[in-house]
Amino acid sequence: MKILVLNCGSSSVKYRLLDLENNKVLGSGGVEKIGMKGSFLKHIRQDHQTVILEGEVLEHQTAIEYILGVLTSAKHGCIKSLEEIDAVGHRVVHGAEKFNSSVLITNEVIKKIEECIDIAPLHNPPNLAGISAISELLPTVPQVAVFDTAFHQTMPEYAFMYPIPYSLYTKYGIRRYGFHGTSHRYVSHRACEFLNMDYNRTKIITVHLGNGASITAIENGKSIDTSMGFTPLEGLMMGTRSGDVDLGIATFLMEKEMIGPSALSTLFNKHSGVLGVSGISSDMRDIETAIANGNERAKLALDMYEYRIKKYIGAYVASLNGVDLIVFTGGVGENQASTRQKIMKGLTYLGVEIDEEANASARGKEALISSAGSKVKVAVIPTDEEFMIASDTMKIIEEMKKK
Amino acid sequence: MSQPIIEPIEKYGLSKRSRRRTLFSKIGVVGCGNEGSAIATIALLNGIEVVFLEPTEEKIANAFTRIERKLNKRIQNWGLTENEKKIALSRVQGTTKYKDFTGCDFVIEAVRYDDQTGERHVEERKEVFLQLEKVLSPQAIIASNVSTVVITELASELQYKERCIGLHFLSNVPGSNIIEIVRGLYTSDETYEKICQFARLINHQYVAVAESAGLVSIRLFLIELNEACEMLMEGISNVEDIDKVLTVGFGHRLGVFRTADQMGIEKIVKLMENLYQEYGNQKYKPSPVLLRLSRAKHFGVKKGKGFYEYDESGNILK
Repeated sequence: MKILVLNCGSSSVKYRLLDLENNKVLGSGGVEKIGMKGSFLKHIRQDHQTVILEGEVLEHQTAIEYILGVLTSAKHGCIKSLEEIDAVGHRVVHGAEKFNSSVLITNEVIKKIEECIDIAPLHNPPNLAGISAISELLPTVPQVAVFDTAFHQTMPEYAFMYPIPYSLYTKYGIRRYGFHGTSHRYVSHRACEFLNMDYNRTKIITVHLGNGASITAIENGKSIDTSMGFTPLEGLMMGTRSGDVDLGIATFLMEKEMIGPSALSTLFNKHSGVLGVSGISSDMRDIETAIANGNERAKLALDMYEYRIKKYIGAYVASLNGVDLIVFTGGVGENQASTRQKIMKGLTYLGVEIDEEANASARGKEALISSAGSKVKVAVIPTDEEFMIASDTMKIIEEMKKK
Repeated sequence: MSQPIIEPIEKYGLSKRSRRRTLFSKIGVVGCGNEGSAIATIALLNGIEVVFLEPTEEKIANAFTRIERKLNKRIQNWGLTENEKKIALSRVQGTTKYKDFTGCDFVIEAVRYDDQTGERHVEERKEVFLQLEKVLSPQAIIASNVSTVVITELASELQYKERCIGLHFLSNVPGSNIIEIVRGLYTSDETYEKICQFARLINHQYVAVAESAGLVSIRLFLIELNEACEMLMEGISNVEDIDKVLTVGFGHRLGVFRTADQMGIEKIVKLMENLYQEYGNQKYKPSPVLLRLSRAKHFGVKKGKGFYEYDESGNILK
């Protein structure tokens, strides 16, 4: 079964065409800078050759047309005709309380996703644009939506509610939703497979450290708490996002700097985090270089970043009343051995024991990085949301066929 | 690893049909002074490509500086990042030739007020409209940034009059996200609808106002300003305190005198004279206080002195 996975962002579309039965990636890539100058499509062929197609791409529909065009082209393609695509799986950011698992896309589903725009104004519209483009270009191909929020719908009410007037929950749906759900679900599953543990009887903390960062407590296969909330701003310190801060700062600043809601949002989302503290970059590689050159603020930023992760792990050990397995993933989680090391060294009270060598050599590949005697297993699992989306899509399509 | 293969994207489209362009993906601005550059900046920040026209290369460079200054101010106020500024600036193009407006869905005329007289010449603006018609498709909208009765007159000499419409951005009040949309006698419903869509696209609220001198915003503002000047003359209160009552008491953002300084006293005097002429009512006659400032060339922020005194970056000195 050949499944096309699409991830439509506000100015990009990432794609991957997978042959799930043979477990092969047939082609992948993305269109960047949609609607801007200098837009291009970067395609990686099955033989790993990179192809860059430059030209004007004004909207998502056009981007997807080009993606389908290159996938079926004689020169760089991997399929002969579009009919070979059995299904399309979409990443959809916000499913609010309407979706607790992946679903086959119907008109009713589209309507519900539209209803979520109110609380995800930046993310859901491009996702919908992708769905409508496929409906137009491949009208007979079934589509599946996989939600970032769905995995966290198992959080108990006391974990997802905010201590603010209840009426705001009923009126606007203000509660904690959590994000990166597909990633947390994938790496927790995969870690248990990898380490031969029973997913449904394990206490897991998954730490996703990428551009955005979030951490999830999983008990017996269910997310019971996660660090991102109503928006992806809450929780850990991130590249440019502040994560948890005292809300009093916001009201204080509104008065002191005479700024309104949109500037405030940019301040906390784009000027803060590692970039804001270091004043250098949001990229951990730049931070490491700066630290090596003796930059104090870069060091402070990294110390804060790591401390806040450790603090959250501690909190989630309490939520779970123990932990069997900690999983690192995401760009930083998969590659930055020093960050993992520092965090683990602060968790010796849990019986975490690091395997220094395994940790140092684990870069972007699956690895157990705790020692044989460690009471808690610690693993690195590269995330693969596209695979998860494709595998959900396949399951749903197969069930649909049975009916 | 082998080098990437680089090719043009066009031949990989699924069909030969022309790509559907989204409405308002590219707009034009004629005259990129204070108001023109404010409009251009708003459009840029909302992902729209902008072409602006100025008569000389030097003025184009100045306009770029103005736009950049506006973006920098946003960065200072935490509302924008350096990267977003770069992206925004990559969308703007300055030109001295009308033919570069080809392909725009919408062009707005924002020719400057005359430095000396504070007027905007109708003949000059008519010429702009005629030039635009030559290069634009018949569906493209031609607009003018207006607050006086002029749009019907500007439209009257065009072949496709129904595509003309007036817009009034309150560009002198920071963060005022509202547009007055002015329908002339010829303006079609379709043109009006499209402009409403444009307003939503740039995250602005809008109200429809009949073609009239001063519309709602300027007419109310001028009366308020005249009355405030009256109070100064009567010795009832002073500049700072009157603005304080308005800002603290009524929640106005700047107060009436600061807003006047932003707009430029010379423009205000001309606008009042225009309203006086149109409505014939004494209440629109510019107050002697305004005339005195205007004669002294104390035009406001840009001259460093008006009702208040300002430093070079436009901050109040006292």
